[in-house]
Amino acid sequence: MTLTIVHLLPELLGTYGDQGNVEILSWRLKQRQISHEVIVVTAGDKVPTQADLYLLGGGEDDAQIAAADLLNRGGALRKAHSNGAHFFAVCAGFQLIGSTFPASGNRTIEGLGLLPVETISATPRSVGELISTPTIDLPTLTGFENHSGQTRHLEDLQPLGNVTRGVGNGLDSGIDGAITDQVLATYMHGPAFARNPELADWILSRKLGPLEKIDAPIFTLLHDERIKNAK
Amino acid sequence: MYLALAIALGRVGGFISRITKRGSGVMVTGRVILKLIPSAVETLSIGRSVVLVSGTNGKSTTTALIHRALSTSSATASNYTGANLFPGIATALAENRGAPFAALEVDEMVLPWAIQQTKPRVIVLLNLGRDQLDRLSEVRVVAAKWKAALVGLPASCTVLADADDPFVTWAARDWVNVVWFTSGVVGHIDASTCPECGLVLKWTPEGTSYSCECGFKKPNPEWILRDNILVGPNNQKVTVVSAIPGKAAISNAARGVIAASLLGVPLADSTDAISKISSVDGRFSTLKIGPTSFRLLLSKNPASWRETLATSATGPKAVLLVVNANTQDGKDTSWLWDVDFTSLHDRTVVVTGERRLDVSVRLTVNDVKHSVVDDELMAANVLGNCEADLIASYTAFHRLAKGVKR
Repeated sequence: MTLTIVHLLPELLGTYGDQGNVEILSWRLKQRQISHEVIVVTAGDKVPTQADLYLLGGGEDDAQIAAADLLNRGGALRKAHSNGAHFFAVCAGFQLIGSTFPASGNRTIEGLGLLPVETISATPRSVGELISTPTIDLPTLTGFENHSGQTRHLEDLQPLGNVTRGVGNGLDSGIDGAITDQVLATYMHGPAFARNPELADWILSRKLGPLEKIDAPIFTLLHDERIKNAK
Repeated sequence: MYLALAIALGRVGGFISRITKRGSGVMVTGRVILKLIPSAVETLSIGRSVVLVSGTNGKSTTTALIHRALSTSSATASNYTGANLFPGIATALAENRGAPFAALEVDEMVLPWAIQQTKPRVIVLLNLGRDQLDRLSEVRVVAAKWKAALVGLPASCTVLADADDPFVTWAARDWVNVVWFTSGVVGHIDASTCPECGLVLKWTPEGTSYSCECGFKKPNPEWILRDNILVGPNNQKVTVVSAIPGKAAISNAARGVIAASLLGVPLADSTDAISKISSVDGRFSTLKIGPTSFRLLLSKNPASWRETLATSATGPKAVLLVVNANTQDGKDTSWLWDVDFTSLHDRTVVVTGERRLDVSVRLTVNDVKHSVVDDELMAANVLGNCEADLIASYTAFHRLAKGVKR
């Protein structure tokens, strides 16, 4: 089989380097000689409904609203979700796959409804290193967060991690992100898969089953250095 | 307090800062002056023709070029060594009080204050792009501050604005006295949505023009730069030559020539003077470390890394990347993934700096072979007796550039 990865709207949701996550997934698959295809969907393109994994990154406010508008049209992502697709969403992407997120002028924007969370605006902006203890069997997670919204779980959801440094979802929750059967969401930029290679393999394993290890110690060195020197 | 006394006290402060090796003294001098007389910059600007230069990339270089061009006509005060906040501006004006011209580099967020204080004759708006997102605002927030600041301009002021950049266009387009410039820049990493209405901005297939259904669009430029030929109103035409390498340098030189012409300096005089500058504040200067001769290049954000990598591609085979993430560099290194490093495939690449591991992972995923070392001296020992480009982020660059000046 060929694993199909869809990179959604990188020109809108690409402000914080999260497109690196797509490159890293592709590189890790290539190292293992696993057949895969990356489809980049930009504004105006048709969103495929049969792909395996969809990635959404972080972006500025106007871009996030434009992305929600584009992705809500036709319901392609909801269809992909009901077809069993997996999603990895970071920051603005995390917010917009939820039920609602805030915009300037006290507006509330409809999200995609793939994850039962809502985001409200909060001050001050959460900026800095974000470290958490994962709720899944992985090493400590490290990233860099930069967001003004804070996100509340609307149902009993599993967080991705319990925050030991930084804010994450905020609202005094002490957690970052969310995990469902098909969605992995976080506030970690970095990009997340550059600093947490096991997280990249974890999401790939959800589709592919157990994966052989890759001999690339530089990823682990970066992971450990970022946790040690977070300042 | 008398201004002259405040300046004298400022100089004493600057002198103490220099001899105690705390800094160059520029910031301290300006701080003392502004503390004693908060309106000093306004007073020091009276009777002069002030040019302000702002934007994400190219401020120091363009300001240095304008300084040189204006100096062919009359004495010109300037702060082109990069002290572009409130104190640096005050010091530049105080240190050269008799100069009828001033060419001032201004931090993007300080521009509204500088406009209000100096009442400039010319403002050069270069570009706006993502830069140090952990401490600076998103691009459109900066653009909105510029737009609001331009409302208060004196009518005699001309804004020289880059029509290729949608954010600059949006900030400047309401002003009555705009001179638009284009150098045919393709696309804009941050301008996927319209600055006016937030809808998706439509770019032409070749990426050199943009429009939105709300009516916002690229203005018709009065000055057009193609390759090295600059063509302006009334059949003005001149060949722009820069001793500084790279496409951005030609574009900055062209804007320097236009800005000086707005203050009466003939195009030919400016182009001749500007063509002789080969280095600004350490950029493109040479630094010998161990056995290696490094050409120093500064890169601060994705746009400048792309430009620098393109310029470096025609340089020596060896290249050293030095990336830090201190406050002035921006603490978030995610931007490394906005830059494609595959152009380094055929080169000898060494990496150092505080965030060398981040760079190493990025290069690994770009399949660029490289070695990682602890510092520049170790890098020189790896590279040996050769010429190499050294591309550094802000704090590393300024530390190394000091070595050049000594």
